[in-house]
Amino acid sequence: MALLETLNLSKSFGGLQAIDNVSLRVDENSVHGLIGPNGSGKSTFFNLLTGVYQPDIGSHISFNNIDITNKPAHYIASQGLARTFQLLRLYGELSVLENVLVGYHPHTKYGPLAPLIMGAEVRRQDKLVKEEMMDLLEFIGLAEHAEIPAAELSGGQRRLLALGRAIAMKPKMLLLDEPGAGLSPVNVDNLMATILTLKERYNLTIVVVEHILKVVMATCDTISVLDHGQKISEGSPTFVKNDPAVVEAYLGREMADEDIRAAMNS
Amino acid sequence: MIILSKLTDIFEYLAKRHRLLPWLLAYVLLLPLPFVLAGLFNEYLIDLVNRICLFILLAVGLNIVKGFCGQVTVGHIGLYAIGAVTSAVLSLEPGGFGGALGFGWPVWLAIPTAVMVTAFAGLIIGLPSVRLQGAYLALATLGLGESVRIFIAVTPALGSSTGLMMIPSPSVGSFTLDSFTSYYYIVMTAALFGIYFSFSILRSATGRAFQAIREDTTAAAVNGINVIKYKLLAFVFSAVYAGLAGALFAHMPPGYLHHNNFTVIEMVTLLLMVVLGGIGNVWGGVIGAIVVAIAYDQTKDLVFYFMDRPIVIQPLVFGLSMVLLVMFMPRGIGGWIEDFQRNRRFIRRSEERLSGSTRNT
Repeated sequence: MALLETLNLSKSFGGLQAIDNVSLRVDENSVHGLIGPNGSGKSTFFNLLTGVYQPDIGSHISFNNIDITNKPAHYIASQGLARTFQLLRLYGELSVLENVLVGYHPHTKYGPLAPLIMGAEVRRQDKLVKEEMMDLLEFIGLAEHAEIPAAELSGGQRRLLALGRAIAMKPKMLLLDEPGAGLSPVNVDNLMATILTLKERYNLTIVVVEHILKVVMATCDTISVLDHGQKISEGSPTFVKNDPAVVEAYLGREMADEDIRAAMNS
Repeated sequence: MIILSKLTDIFEYLAKRHRLLPWLLAYVLLLPLPFVLAGLFNEYLIDLVNRICLFILLAVGLNIVKGFCGQVTVGHIGLYAIGAVTSAVLSLEPGGFGGALGFGWPVWLAIPTAVMVTAFAGLIIGLPSVRLQGAYLALATLGLGESVRIFIAVTPALGSSTGLMMIPSPSVGSFTLDSFTSYYYIVMTAALFGIYFSFSILRSATGRAFQAIREDTTAAAVNGINVIKYKLLAFVFSAVYAGLAGALFAHMPPGYLHHNNFTVIEMVTLLLMVVLGGIGNVWGGVIGAIVVAIAYDQTKDLVFYFMDRPIVIQPLVFGLSMVLLVMFMPRGIGGWIEDFQRNRRFIRRSEERLSGSTRNT
């Protein structure tokens, strides 16, 4: 069953067609890879799905059988679609715990005015939620840093926190925008292992944009390839790897087959 | 520093027994203040303290929208004006002096009505924040705030250039609160409640939503926060503070309002309080309000003679200190407070770890 489905999704910025008629299905409980050269529209695609950008007329996005086309970002988030950002966008001055607490926001059981009129109930709720979020931090290994500002974490810890903040939203689907950017190969492997454990533990469907092809090839069930805003290929990792269109998009026409194989496998 | 540390210890100990105990202690400690001031100095100082309390309300309110939520607003003083004039006009007797409007409402009814009217006005002043950010938002809110003052200044029904006079004082039973000392208890209580509620907001999901919007609006939206709703809510909260401060100001002895109380200079003073206090820190804002209000009062009549010509130096001093503050103390007093609290936490944790390890060996 498709959890997420886009139909003729398009987005143009002035004269630039950033996303061009992309139709895509993501099955429930799968890990779906999204690859493509720089500027191929992967991040724009995520921004369209999560309501950060509004798509062009004629586009359709449905998530969990709900039409989320042109819906505001907070509504889409509350339906269970979470994401991370390539540049993380953590709340730097807030503590690690507060960052994940903000992630929990869609599930808050009291209204925004409640702190003024029913303080005791608000504190009781917050205490429970904090315990739950501390469990999550424990799981991703940031519990001992819970009180320090997010800006003071190391690069790797920040990536984990970004992941934790998205998980705190208790999503059905998680969109990961280059989770491994800037990490050493060993750390990337660890991170991917963490992501897969999280997937099992929280029963997630994952769409991942990643440049490190080795990671994508190893973890994804299906891969879609974007180039210049168009979907040029889709299928299993082996299929995509051998698709001439993909090879061309990545490396250009001139390179010999052997070089390409070597580059893709490295 | 040691005294501060001990004092914090006492308050933390009380907070552990019951959450409200430190607030109660603060309230009790503040009760005899007017008598101490009158005994040691003079009555005038009580009036200064009353105005400080109103400034605290204003600064704490401004901190919600600017400090917590990160929306630069320069229209806060306009909200203060709306609160003051609404409450004054509602409570004045009809057919008053100089064609001023009057509805003759009881003061205790006029104040909450004025607060509600101001809250609605806050919603309107907040509307530009849906589309505008930073300096552009500051300009839009400045325009709205200043137009309120000019509207008051040219409308005889609202006092225009003569101002509103003989605004009635509130009374409890047959006792009229028309002295500096009796009015102190109203504004001090209001200021304490204002600070308390500001903390309640900050430490809830609502406050975290505000802060998330300040830190990264896009991320906040993607985390499921209705950004527009919460931005407007922050403006409304701060407007409630401004409206209450304004209404209390109107009824404060001597019961006189003039549009000069709501100029851009006043707004800059208010901003100075929040900046000196450290943007986003509640206690910093309170201390900023106290320090700046006293400095404002002390430099008000300071005149410097240059070639036999008088020069009022207060605007220069305030403008210069604003520049210096932003350059050399961008986190304000609140930054010190946060460092102080973090150091304490760090020391406590190291001590725990140390005692833990000695137990093990």
